[in-house]
Amino acid sequence: MATKWRRALLEGLLLCFVLFVIFGPISSLVIWSIAIRWYWPHVFPQEIGLAYWKQALGLQRDWAIAAVSIWDAFGTSILVALVATAVVMAMAIPAGYALARFRVPLKALILLLFLMPKAFPQQPIFVNLLPTFTKWGLAGTVQGVILVHILVCLIFGVWITTSAFKAIPQELEEAARSVGATRWRTFWKVLFPLAAPGLLVSTVFVFVTSLTEFTGTFFIGLPFVTTLPMLLYSSSGYNMQFASVIAIVLLIPSLLFMTFVQRVFRPEYMGGIAG
Amino acid sequence: MPEVRLEGVTKRYGKVTAVDHLDLTVHDGEILTLLGPSGCGKTTTLRCIAGFVVPDEGHIFLGDEEVTHLPPEQRDIGFVFQNYALWPHMTVFQNLAFGLQLRRTPKEEIRKRVREVLSLVRLSGMEDRYPRQLSGGQQQRVALARALVLRPRVLLLDEPLSNLDAKLREEMRFEIRELQRQLGITAIYVTHDQAEALVLSDRIAVLNEGRLIQLGTPEEIYQRPTDRFVAGFIGLSSFIEAQVAEVEDETAVLETEDGIRLRVPRDALTEGQAVTLAVRPEHVEILEGPPVDLENVFQVEVVRAAYLGDSIDCRLRLGKWELRTQLPPHKVLSSGERLWVRLPPEKMIVIPS
Repeated sequence: MATKWRRALLEGLLLCFVLFVIFGPISSLVIWSIAIRWYWPHVFPQEIGLAYWKQALGLQRDWAIAAVSIWDAFGTSILVALVATAVVMAMAIPAGYALARFRVPLKALILLLFLMPKAFPQQPIFVNLLPTFTKWGLAGTVQGVILVHILVCLIFGVWITTSAFKAIPQELEEAARSVGATRWRTFWKVLFPLAAPGLLVSTVFVFVTSLTEFTGTFFIGLPFVTTLPMLLYSSSGYNMQFASVIAIVLLIPSLLFMTFVQRVFRPEYMGGIAG
Repeated sequence: MPEVRLEGVTKRYGKVTAVDHLDLTVHDGEILTLLGPSGCGKTTTLRCIAGFVVPDEGHIFLGDEEVTHLPPEQRDIGFVFQNYALWPHMTVFQNLAFGLQLRRTPKEEIRKRVREVLSLVRLSGMEDRYPRQLSGGQQQRVALARALVLRPRVLLLDEPLSNLDAKLREEMRFEIRELQRQLGITAIYVTHDQAEALVLSDRIAVLNEGRLIQLGTPEEIYQRPTDRFVAGFIGLSSFIEAQVAEVEDETAVLETEDGIRLRVPRDALTEGQAVTLAVRPEHVEILEGPPVDLENVFQVEVVRAAYLGDSIDCRLRLGKWELRTQLPPHKVLSSGERLWVRLPPEKMIVIPS
């Protein structure tokens, strides 16, 4: 009995520690988001309230409080991230499979090509991209922003899916072929479920990257497309309260998305890898 | 069950020729082993038959049907992999049922056939286990069952036992042999393990550097190797280079360059021909005491004797040649000791150089 209690205590302490490590930094965000007045050297705010939250969520309109409704930006962010993720994964899964399985000529070069948008300082790339996008009528449009996000995210999609497919022994596929499965069936019944954890990681990574993308959105989207990170950057520094509200709001879709994707990739798929 | 026929099958990887104009026929209902050292082309040959690899030249037939360019899923073959290749995200039942489901077999029938084949490989009641919950031997039996449940035209096995420990491997040899007999299925078995090949084959095809060196029953391969490579690869052999000095009615006499004369069966030898004599360890007879006028009797010197538990592995010097033999473990020998040995003429294996 004693060991059982000690074990429970130890586990409880460990849990507290983990929670602290994860939520400690976020808790300061929460405090900032409800601080109305907070001057140095006070440890906690002198006055707290939900004014910034109400203002940000469009529940009140007070010119004295420096926060605007975030709903439009939130909607844009989610739309852009979902579409970009869908497009990127639709490209990355077949591309990753091909790069992992077939002798693709210039494979290294192709993989490097996906790295290009991330391999150089972002600003010159997007400044350079702007005239082209303007010529195509994409500058300042949601489509243009989505396209930029796809460019930025493709590397995570392709690289992670490639290694996810590579990690699956060729024999598992050949075994499926030998019992009568076509290449297509083999992909969906054997390869895809086994690659699922890697594809999940890749999808979440792409989604979060798109959700928090700033530089490309700034150059291509301004002044007509505003996403949450744009609001955040423009208010941080002088308006910690509003910035904290946006930062917390940004966390929510990532968490929801992760839960959702985990449902899609069923747990036994994940279990399969452990063996 | 149809026979499997290979005609001039060739596969090259860059400059390396993995399989070199291979002609081979596997008879209906027999188990044929492709035996050879690693890199001899045996696995590539098997993968060509399975359809995982398309040969650069030549034709492959299953029965009357040419399958050279047919994708693997249309060949109706069963394949057992060295690393089992069970799908880790499926239970044993799902692993076995997958192929049947693809063939739109009714559910009841699937359940019945899975149950039957599991009892055949002595794994009844394991339907709901995941592969990772099974031992290596059990996993390999599931892999075998997965191939058999579809009642394929040909069963292909690629070193299926080499990941198992020695004891289990020996057991499984007999099991596979037994199953193949029982089902009367045509099977091709790839291995680099000569003992495995001798135990479970109807016939053995010895391959080296992509070419077929000798094809025959285990007895033929062991007792009458036609090639030095075969004599060295299957069983132990000591080699003595010699020339045919005399040819008589039944026998011939060989002479080495250091003057050792040996009587051997005549076969098709001609005078002056250069040959290699292969001596099996069990064909070296140790004589007690000095000989009384016997043919093929020599005095040899013990070079090294190693105690192996059930026997003593012994290297003997005969002129400039070395003979290997196994002696009963109670014999006490020390290096430098001199012994009389006899090499029975009728047991000598002569291979034309």
